[in-house]
Amino acid sequence: MKFKLIYPKWPKLSRQTEFHLPPHGPVVLAASLPPDVDVEFVDENLEKIDFSQPVDFVGISVMLTSQIKRGWEIADIYRQKGIKVIFGGIGTMLHAEETAFHADAVFLGESEGRMEAVFDDFKNNRLKKIYDYLTEHPPIELVGTARRDILKKEFYNYKGIQMVDLVHASRGCRFSCYPCSVAYLGGRKFRPRPIDKVIEEMTAIENNRLFIVDNSLAQDAKWEKNLFREMIPLKKKWCCHPIEDEPEVLDLAAQAGAWYVYQAVFDTSDYIKERIRRYHDHGIAVEGTVLLGLDDHTEDFIKRLIDFLLEIELDLAEFTVLTPFPHTPAFKTLQAEKRIFSYNWDNYNADKVVFQPKQMTPERLQEMLVYAWDTFYQETSQQLRMSKLFQQVIRKERSDNTHQPRRRDMAHQAFGRPLKK
Amino acid sequence: MKELIEALKVKIIDTLYLEDIVTEDIDEKAPLVGGDLGVDSIDILELVMMLEQDYGIVIESKELGEKVFASVEALAAHIQENQPASAIPTN
Repeated sequence: MKFKLIYPKWPKLSRQTEFHLPPHGPVVLAASLPPDVDVEFVDENLEKIDFSQPVDFVGISVMLTSQIKRGWEIADIYRQKGIKVIFGGIGTMLHAEETAFHADAVFLGESEGRMEAVFDDFKNNRLKKIYDYLTEHPPIELVGTARRDILKKEFYNYKGIQMVDLVHASRGCRFSCYPCSVAYLGGRKFRPRPIDKVIEEMTAIENNRLFIVDNSLAQDAKWEKNLFREMIPLKKKWCCHPIEDEPEVLDLAAQAGAWYVYQAVFDTSDYIKERIRRYHDHGIAVEGTVLLGLDDHTEDFIKRLIDFLLEIELDLAEFTVLTPFPHTPAFKTLQAEKRIFSYNWDNYNADKVVFQPKQMTPERLQEMLVYAWDTFYQETSQQLRMSKLFQQVIRKERSDNTHQPRRRDMAHQAFGRPLKK
Repeated sequence: MKELIEALKVKIIDTLYLEDIVTEDIDEKAPLVGGDLGVDSIDILELVMMLEQDYGIVIESKELGEKVFASVEALAAHIQENQPASAIPTN
């Protein structure tokens, strides 16, 4: 049976250098499909969908709110042709009710152990409108090695350099942060995968550079230390979200190949300053994820924040505006206060102001976003900072003899497209 | 100087894994970037690391990089002028 799994395109952050990572959700789903399903994956960010190609069943995998409307459009086209469409992924979970209008089935929750029944329903023409497993998480031991073989690897390559492969070591998050929907999506209980399974998966990935996409590794220091200890012999180099702020954990992370972390920087405190310094002391670079537009953010604060980021020598920074994604504490609050003025999900890419900020007009916040990108990258450009970050990984790889040559035959293309001369 | 130029040609081939290229193919006076070798900005990055590791020379600015990597000859001249006394080329 031919199952076409589609990852809808979305507009990238306008000020950020374009890059495309191999998606994670679709490869995790693919691992849970019954063996007789012949899956073809299409990442619409990188290739056009051939709607005329014969297919038995279509799956639409949605990660982001800004993908959802395009997902609906794609589904509408297939359904007009009489082809059934199922939606899944975390973006679908945030927009379940609306998505049901465009789908034959909507799958909510984690797919392990559930797909046999869903595909059996499809084959017997009894698909349910909603499969709601949102709060019934499968046993974490069921999570196996993701099926990265469905990806067209040449698309995730820049001038011969393979992008990082994505992998996860846990699900759920014990925190519930104001702008984040993870507590709704994966539950407040931290669910680490058995370490041997994670190591088995990492070992199987034919790429020395990984992105460990867990919401935060800083959830259970004992598990985290054990994970890093087991990772050391793999000699992989990796980036991730926050690592526990303990010297022993940071030391083990560095030994295990930590390259850089995405760390939220939300104020100009000594705590943040010291946190960044400790990463740097362990040879771990930091890309700050900086959200603008919180209720206490005045123009002056934002200006001070950018100065602070330069002062603490952040390696890279990604600036976004607060976006009230459905099922986040931010959405609940801003909606109750009637401060959300756009529900056009295409605008929810964290690059456009869709709510009334407390300290300034939406237009001014939009300008402050531009100010943040411009000011941070004024002295040292994004390209140069990325080069420095790339040098760090080469240096680490050279020191343990894991550095691999890039694909010279692909030096003249980027993400599957020929480079403009 | 001639010896250094020859050594650099070998290092460039090795560092960049240039297949089917031998030292004779590299014209030390020709532009290194965008020439026949197909060297691009990512290669320069690798060469910056090689210079640091093997010759103890740090290239910190884009402007200096442009000057240093103008040709193999320019690269050799920069190394000769700036190599710390303690740095002994490896290999």
